[in-house]
Amino acid sequence: MKDVIDVMELQREKSRRTTTVDYRQLDFKGGFTPASFIFECGKKLNGQPLTLATAAVIMHRFFKEVDPMGYDLFLIASSSLYLAGKVKDDPLKIRDIINVSHNTLHRGSSPLEIGDEYWNMRDAIVQAELLIMRVLKFEVGTVHPHKYMLHYLKSMEGWLGKDTWETVPVSKLAAAFLQDFHMDPAVLDYAPQHIAVACISLALQCYGVQLPLMEDLDDEAWYAVFVKDLQKDKHWEIMEKIMEVFNKEISSH
Amino acid sequence: MENKNVRYEKIEFLGEGQFATVFKAKDVKTDKIVAVKKIKLGSREEAQDGINRTALREIKLLQELHHDNLIGLLDVFGHMSNVSLVFDFMDTDLEVIIKDNTIILTTANIKSYILQTLQGLEYLHVNWILHRDLKPNNLLVDASGVLKIGDFGLAKLYGSPNRINTHQVVTRWYRPPELLFGAKQYGTCIDIWAVGCILAELLLRVPLFPGESDLDQLTKIFGVFGNPTEDNWPGVKSLSDYIEFKTFPPIPLKSIFTAAGDDLLHVIESMLVLNPIARKTSTACLKLPFFSNKPAPTAGCKLPLPQNIRKLAEIERLSLKRKLLDSAEGGTLSKRLFT
Repeated sequence: MKDVIDVMELQREKSRRTTTVDYRQLDFKGGFTPASFIFECGKKLNGQPLTLATAAVIMHRFFKEVDPMGYDLFLIASSSLYLAGKVKDDPLKIRDIINVSHNTLHRGSSPLEIGDEYWNMRDAIVQAELLIMRVLKFEVGTVHPHKYMLHYLKSMEGWLGKDTWETVPVSKLAAAFLQDFHMDPAVLDYAPQHIAVACISLALQCYGVQLPLMEDLDDEAWYAVFVKDLQKDKHWEIMEKIMEVFNKEISSH
Repeated sequence: MENKNVRYEKIEFLGEGQFATVFKAKDVKTDKIVAVKKIKLGSREEAQDGINRTALREIKLLQELHHDNLIGLLDVFGHMSNVSLVFDFMDTDLEVIIKDNTIILTTANIKSYILQTLQGLEYLHVNWILHRDLKPNNLLVDASGVLKIGDFGLAKLYGSPNRINTHQVVTRWYRPPELLFGAKQYGTCIDIWAVGCILAELLLRVPLFPGESDLDQLTKIFGVFGNPTEDNWPGVKSLSDYIEFKTFPPIPLKSIFTAAGDDLLHVIESMLVLNPIARKTSTACLKLPFFSNKPAPTAGCKLPLPQNIRKLAEIERLSLKRKLLDSAEGGTLSKRLFT
């Protein structure tokens, strides 16, 4: 329980700081990825959460196959966003992506003029898109943990009882954990169902919520009604990975 | 990585569409005949938009779909700055079959084609996918009489309650009244309307509603089924492009499809309903008596196909067999359904 409370502490610290990141200064060697760049740009572009998750997954899968040092991380990130928009039928316009990415990298700069620099970037994004498609062997469909999490949470609404459900924002926090876990390439390593359960578990623990009717059954996990194949140590491992995301973020600043 | 451009040996040019050129090719690895669809990069303007959305939809959806009555995506590969999709090779399509006046379409043949269409469509709908462009031209048929639904360039996931879709889908003649009235939220019923139109076309051998404009399309539809009212279609007047038409009396279907049996008319009536909610689903359609009544659907290998597809010898062998079968059943002649 102790390290869980630490996470809350970190979160509070984080919200107090209102810094804007200079991505160009970050060191991506230490396992850090341009996922936060994807989420920042995607949010500015009004992309759907699933589109952004898709973009992050595409980017992580790409860098799993190639040597990250050989590519411009932000180009791949922008191109992943563009491709994810197409995959999810959530059209993100290429010109918007270019302007938002450019402004996020060079904060305070004005939109690009339609000129050589703009056309070169556009060309690069399109070329990178095809490269990504080929590296991923054209398999760009993703099964997201989101849909499982939605159903688990929906079922838990009755289990927890109306009072707890309405006063403790478990689902909101679980969704936040899920989005944040997409910062880490580890999101590729686990079954979507397992990730969904781990995010909910972590949210429950953060708020110290006890599920009713579970006290006497310590040897059985609460999530056994949802997934049968999630071992306790695996479950714990995913939760730790999610918490690590916050440590990584803190240390990179 | 192996060179896929070498793996698929071009045999002949098959056709050219807006976004792609299609070749018949031989997969030298398996000796299988396939269709290779090479996505056009087109003008510089288009190239700047990157991978074609239509192609991406086909890739994304077909990679996950596997059914006998859906076109199979066998492979995808990139060569230079091109993307190519490798599909099952299909010899012909329903449009060709309908237009070929040497082909006789019996009730059993029609039953087979519609049955296969509905089975493929049921699978799609169960997997939350709308095809959105069903027409005879997209129902592909191979030499062994297997029908596969093709062209997933407009297909889309459905079911999100707040999702707004475009109503500019489905080729006009097969477009249901709600889309013509501008509905932005719709479901599987739009595909069912199209299947109803295709079934009618198999019987008539001409399109049922060959509208020349969107308004003409609605006029032709109401000319058969009468006007929609708030009684038979609650909410119709609140559709964004709704307009009042002059009053048409409904025409009994029996007078249009003079040669169709009652059970077949019942299928048409279940699919072509003005109110989209009242249209039967593909699963419900498959349970209609027509599909279990006699005659049984024609077996794939006996379905009539254009002359050039099956080798002459094969056709002769089959027709001989059919003669034998017919005489065994008491000499019933296959009647051509025509108005």
